[in-house]
Amino acid sequence: MAQAKPQNKILTANRLRNGETVYYTAAGEWSPYVSEARIATTAEDADALAKIGAAAYAANTVIDVAVIDVNPGAGAKPSHIREVIRATGPTVRVDLNKSVAPPQR
Amino acid sequence: MYIYDQFDHAITKERVAEFSQQVSRRLTGELSEEQFRPLRLMNGLYLQLHAYMLRVAIPYGTLSSKQLHKLADIAKKYDRDYAHFTTRQNIQYNWIKLDQVPDLLAELASVEMHANQTSGNCIRNVTADQFAGVAGDEIEDPRIISEVIRQWSTFHPEFSFLPRKFKIAVTGAPKDRAAIQYHDIGIHIVKNDAGETGYAIYVGGGMGRTPVVAPLIKPFVARADLLSYLEACLRVYNLHGRRDNIYKARIKILVRDLGPAEYARQVEEMWPMTRAAGVDVPAGEVARIAAFFAPPAYDKILEPVAAFTAAKAKYSAFARWVQTNVHPHKVPGYGAVTISLKPIGGIPGDASSAQMHAIADMADTYSLGEVRVTHVQNLVLPNVKQADLFAVWQRLGEIGFAEGNVGLITDIIACPGLDYCSLANARSIPIAQRLSQKFADLDRQHNIGPLQIKISGCINACGHHHAGHIGILGVDKAGVELYQLTLGGAGDETASIGQLLGPGFTSEDIVGAVDKLVNTYLDLREKPSETFLEAYRRVGPAPFKESLYGRR
Ligand code: HEM
Ligand code: SF4
Repeated sequence: MAQAKPQNKILTANRLRNGETVYYTAAGEWSPYVSEARIATTAEDADALAKIGAAAYAANTVIDVAVIDVNPGAGAKPSHIREVIRATGPTVRVDLNKSVAPPQR
Repeated sequence: MYIYDQFDHAITKERVAEFSQQVSRRLTGELSEEQFRPLRLMNGLYLQLHAYMLRVAIPYGTLSSKQLHKLADIAKKYDRDYAHFTTRQNIQYNWIKLDQVPDLLAELASVEMHANQTSGNCIRNVTADQFAGVAGDEIEDPRIISEVIRQWSTFHPEFSFLPRKFKIAVTGAPKDRAAIQYHDIGIHIVKNDAGETGYAIYVGGGMGRTPVVAPLIKPFVARADLLSYLEACLRVYNLHGRRDNIYKARIKILVRDLGPAEYARQVEEMWPMTRAAGVDVPAGEVARIAAFFAPPAYDKILEPVAAFTAAKAKYSAFARWVQTNVHPHKVPGYGAVTISLKPIGGIPGDASSAQMHAIADMADTYSLGEVRVTHVQNLVLPNVKQADLFAVWQRLGEIGFAEGNVGLITDIIACPGLDYCSLANARSIPIAQRLSQKFADLDRQHNIGPLQIKISGCINACGHHHAGHIGILGVDKAGVELYQLTLGGAGDETASIGQLLGPGFTSEDIVGAVDKLVNTYLDLREKPSETFLEAYRRVGPAPFKESLYGRR
């Protein structure tokens, strides 16, 4: 695939305490909602995310840290099917799925 | 069933206490993930895509109603109200929180259950024929030596850090219902010419990326010598085992490389030493264990049972269910009921806590309090009076588990796949669901006859696809889920490895491709009683390939 822009990336992990899938946000927190993920649009940004991930792992906040690809454009949409499923839940139990965004308050 | 002795109780308690401490130390950061990971794996705790997963051992697939009630309670309290029965006769919880694991394990221990030997490079939970003790064709109850092996292998110091995980299965009848030749060691209970009961030992089978059907290493080991022989098998492996390459470290690779004859020779050479070490269990101890599996108090019942005959005559759907889901019992007037956890369109092996409670209640009312788990991801009520079968069937209907499809094309094995598993390449469950819907028509299922479809979401083969008459393997091709088909696998006493047919199919096309294979079989079978597997073994892959890919 020829891509004009560099690959957009986000930082994801699972929370140590409960295993929940989480995303690193622009506010510097770990959110369960993929749409809140901070998107790295440059290689330097992606490196910065990787460093944050490594530090959070070392601090025992999260495990299984990974910087993953998301589609171009606003609102982080994971590129790979595995990450799409991770972001919402098993496709065979949609009743248990979570939303990609926090509930409206 | 087997009741834990003091020693078991103490060890299980100790283990829960120890792991609870380790969890606390992990949560405070005292233990790093690198340090903790092997510890949690030793205790059956994995990380999947969405949460931690806990695998709980059900030794040789036997559960009491009390234990099943507890498993249901745990599903409600610590998980999302359901759980998954696996091909390893275990139960898995999918949404476990690390900080709740100590409480969960303590609850499990209260019914003598635990998650030991469900992962790690140890001798895993021993699996056995689900009809142990009740099958009409049985030579000896496989649970007796399964329990002997469990006691020997539990926390065995020499075998807790094997080169790789190690799986043992036991089957007690000529018909192999435990897929023993796909295990590291498979034990087939046999009689020799003198009429004595003993054990045929197969070593070096397995699934995974290098599927192997275990060769026969020794046709007869006497009962008194079993453990020293097994210990010799393991010791030879442990001495040679290659720890440097994770894919090569399984015993199947060792047996293949040495050759079965040479491996057998080395075991013979080792055997006197393990014998001298006195690992064999005295007959009295075996008798003590066997007593736990003594037949329960059955009623004396004359066949035919009038109410049963009448119900079958009146309700043809019931009669059909009996045909597929009730196995002959060794005691007249009884039957062993397989509860299909494969409702049409359902998730193979999943049960809600309400369903588990209902089945546990049925076990109390109708099956002398016992339940079994099969490696095909179904449950068994082993001791049902024929006169009660109709009531059981009706009750199963109320909880959505009355599908009369055991052994038929919709009785599909599927691993969790990409819906849950972090190692997966592709989803397995949705393929099983769509196949189940495609072949829902029971007349057609009976016309097709015995046909096992088995689906794995990656080459680890947790879904036994190598042993499927039709096997489906999910692969990842540039981010797209693709499904490869294998044909001719079998996991019974005629074990064989399925052969890859050709290029994979997309998720959209895979169901249609299976349908074509089935139609090809229906066209070419010599008579309706020739099964899919028999027909495939007669004609080979060519006509099936042609139906999918055309002439080449
Ligand atoms: C979702 C979490 C799971 C993970 C991470 C996992 C991991 C693995 C891995 C890595 C292997 C390959 C081992 C090897 O070849 O040495 C394997 C094999 C296997 N697993 Fe799983 N598995 C999972 C779930 C299951 C489930 C749900 C079942 C039962 C339905 C199962 C049954 C098996 C069996 C039967 C094998 C084949 C053993 C052999 O290689 O002979 N696993 N698993
Ligand atoms: S076969 Fe692969 S995808 Fe399926 S459960 Fe095993 S490791 Fe996961």
